[in-house]
Amino acid sequence: MKGYHLGELEELVLLTVGILDQEAYGVSVLEEIKNQTGRKVNISAIHTVLNRLEEKGFLDSQMGGATEERGGRRKRLFRISASGRSAITEIRTLRNKLYDQIPPLSLDFSHGY
Amino acid sequence: MDTKRKYFPPKWADRFLEFYCVPFKLEQIQGDAYELFYLNLEDRGLAYARFRYWIHVLSFFRWSNIKRTKTNYYTSNSTAMFKNYLKIGWRNLLKQKATTFISVFGLASAVGCCLVAYLFIANIWFKGMLQPNKNEIYQLTYTIDEEEGKVTYGTVAEPIAELLSNEFTQIKSQSRVKQGLPILIYQTESFYQRVNYVDPGFMDMFVYRMEYGYPQALTEPDQVILTFELSEKLFGDTHPVGQEISLVTDGEEKRYKVGGVMKKLNDMEIFNFDLLVNLESIESEKPQVSLKQSWDAELWTFVQLEKGVNPAELQAGLASIKKRQNEINSGNPYLSLDLIAYTDLVYQIGKIEKGVRNFLGLGPQILLGAIGLFILILAVFNYINISILMASRRLKEIGVRKVIGSRRGQLIAQFLSENLIVCFFALFIGCLLAIFVLLPGFNQVASKSLKLDLLHDPYLWMFLIGLMGFITLVSGLYPAVFVSGFKPVTILNGNQKLGSKSFMTSVLLTFQFTLAIISIVAGVAFLQTNYLNENRDWGYDNSDKIIVNVPDTKAYFTLKDQISAIASVKEVSGSENFIGNGAEEKEVTYQEQKYEVDYLEAEANYAEVLELRLISGRFLNSNLVSDQTQSLLVNERFMTELGLSFPVEESIVLDSVNYQIVGVVEDFHMTFFQRPIVPMVIRSGSDSIYNYLTLQMSPGTALSAMDLVKKTWREAIPAGLFEGKLQADVFEREFSDVRGIQHIIIFAAVLAVILAAMGLFGLVSLNMNSRIKDFCVRKVFGAGTNELTRKLFKRYLISWGIASILGGCLAFVMVNQFLDSFFAFHSGVGFIPLTTGLLGLLLVIGLTVSSQIFKVMKANPADILKSE
Repeated sequence: MKGYHLGELEELVLLTVGILDQEAYGVSVLEEIKNQTGRKVNISAIHTVLNRLEEKGFLDSQMGGATEERGGRRKRLFRISASGRSAITEIRTLRNKLYDQIPPLSLDFSHGY
Repeated sequence: MDTKRKYFPPKWADRFLEFYCVPFKLEQIQGDAYELFYLNLEDRGLAYARFRYWIHVLSFFRWSNIKRTKTNYYTSNSTAMFKNYLKIGWRNLLKQKATTFISVFGLASAVGCCLVAYLFIANIWFKGMLQPNKNEIYQLTYTIDEEEGKVTYGTVAEPIAELLSNEFTQIKSQSRVKQGLPILIYQTESFYQRVNYVDPGFMDMFVYRMEYGYPQALTEPDQVILTFELSEKLFGDTHPVGQEISLVTDGEEKRYKVGGVMKKLNDMEIFNFDLLVNLESIESEKPQVSLKQSWDAELWTFVQLEKGVNPAELQAGLASIKKRQNEINSGNPYLSLDLIAYTDLVYQIGKIEKGVRNFLGLGPQILLGAIGLFILILAVFNYINISILMASRRLKEIGVRKVIGSRRGQLIAQFLSENLIVCFFALFIGCLLAIFVLLPGFNQVASKSLKLDLLHDPYLWMFLIGLMGFITLVSGLYPAVFVSGFKPVTILNGNQKLGSKSFMTSVLLTFQFTLAIISIVAGVAFLQTNYLNENRDWGYDNSDKIIVNVPDTKAYFTLKDQISAIASVKEVSGSENFIGNGAEEKEVTYQEQKYEVDYLEAEANYAEVLELRLISGRFLNSNLVSDQTQSLLVNERFMTELGLSFPVEESIVLDSVNYQIVGVVEDFHMTFFQRPIVPMVIRSGSDSIYNYLTLQMSPGTALSAMDLVKKTWREAIPAGLFEGKLQADVFEREFSDVRGIQHIIIFAAVLAVILAAMGLFGLVSLNMNSRIKDFCVRKVFGAGTNELTRKLFKRYLISWGIASILGGCLAFVMVNQFLDSFFAFHSGVGFIPLTTGLLGLLLVIGLTVSSQIFKVMKANPADILKSE
């Protein structure tokens, strides 16, 4: 595989779905992102990203969990798939690798003086 | 919880969501929206929650969520599907290189041939149609009553052009056009060149791209504009503008400067000319003529109307001009004066006398069109046969696709898209083939200058795209429909029989063989006819004779004397025309009966000089005064046509003078073999100055004496154009024309046979591949080569047999008709062409099939059978 191409929001959503484990669906992902990062995202954007990630094979989904708030409608529950997991792992290692290569600030006083 | 249930999201928003949303996404989307609504309700109150609900509903209104009539709601994947089709097609083509080559090569050569044929035909029909102002240009014509009924002329009286600008305001530009063939002299060289004498308005009306100079150069009466070809011929690499040339018309020499040179015309202009000259420049020379005389002179007149002007608006004005003309020129009263649209001129061929275009030449068009079509059919049939067989290799793929849920339409689309790849390549290679091989060859053979002008010719693009669509559909539709019609059950069960034994394949093959036979027969028959004609007796001895022209009547006797003084010249005779160049047609009356005859006026010794063969009577004698005035020499055909036998007592009336027949000569070919021999009379003229001199040379000296004759001629007539030639060469142009056609036909025949053979080869080899196990098993059980051969050959021989009968009959009729249209004298479709056609094809079939049989014979059954 050439590598995983994920947009910024895609990455965020993928991680959130991972955090939420079995309980990830549109509204819960939205709330979680808001709570964790303080970012307000449009619900339709979340849906689009979830669908796209599913198309790419990073997420699996199934229907389930009707509640009264939803007027008895079921949720589509998302779960991170194996390739989704390896995708975030690879992205993370890549990030770390790049981060580690940044030279230290020149005014770092811990050395020398 | 119950309190919440008092409030609901806005009803209209909900309805809108339900209206647009994809059914299977509706549940989750609506659910999330509801959930968010109640969250917002709790936090910020009803109004805000409702507002947010609306926002959410609207933000979900996205392409991927909107309900569509098609079932694929996900992102449209049809591009992916087509990509997949093309990829599979591409792989299939690569897998079968030999058969792909056969298909692509066949189609490419067909495309090449069709392109040449198209260019040739379009060149005739679309001549001049690339002119940007074509829709505003009109030609003036008039109609008069003649003996044969109403006749329309393309030329009108010259002064009408001057009246036009007074009469009409709608005319943007106008030009008279007159053609001439003066002698052009540049330095010491002189040539006959086709000149269009025009008004300066000509260059406004017709747009020519210029290589050097400007179109306005023609406003100066002493400047001319040359075509690129002429400029190259005269000046080569030197800059042409400003060079001086002179034109000689009726012995009057006039000097001009070159004012401009056009870019190459590629034969696409409606007028045929080598240079444009201002019409005024020859008019100013003319002495003042009477009014009547100036109305007698006629020439073409073109007008360009302002944009959007309907030619009907000019009707009244034209009528008044007509009235004026009829008053002045009462001897030639016009019935009507009309405008003919420039774009309609080509459809008026044959209806307008003295028109711009008077010759359509349908024969060559039909020939080339037929060749293009033949090759196209052959190639397309090859392709159909091969693609059906190829599809049999992919039966499992088709079965699986069908089981998975491909609909028939989708399978057809798949096969057609694969087909499109092949056709695209074929078209591309075909264009290259046409540009680099076929067109140069054809141009040389047909002395044309056709060009594949992809940049400036919109019609060509239409043709190419049309051809591509046509080939794709015709060659691909049948295989696609046929193959996609199978039932998956039979395919996957392994019961589907296909291809090799298909009836359709045999029909197509037979048809191909038929076409191949026809083209071989045509080629051989043409070759045979040509061979016979080149060795045909011309009816006289054509060796050791030189013909020279005498353009200047004043120098006639000097020239004759000087030429007679050359040692190797035995005798000299003058004639109005020469044998081989055609003769004047006249009417003779014998016993109140009128006959059309060819008529030649010459010195009395002309027949002797040419060594015409006397059958009875005597040649004309220059010493007898009666022979100058009342004696005729006739040919054999004359006697048979009139039912006479020599001697003839009664006299023949020619131009209301009575003549006696004094001698009969054997029939000879006055014109090329395209025309039959017609009754002919030769009269010794009363005046003694002729257009041509025929020189009888001592045997074997004609060729070597040519230079001396030319030198002598130059001394006598310094300003003329020497057109001397050997009598044996008078048909040279016709022969080279015919040879050109012969090359084309033979090329077509060879290509047809190659295509048929390649198609057969593809068929047999694919067939063989699928049955090689069968043959090997037979071999193991002791089948001999004979039996295998017979089994393989049988089918193709049946096809050949049917094709022989069909092709033989068709060829007999068609080729005979074709030869008839070309020659009055031809060998016809006899034994030789027919047997060559049939046996030649049989040989090709034999070789093709044998090559495959050889493969089986050589094959070791153990190797092949163990592979699975």
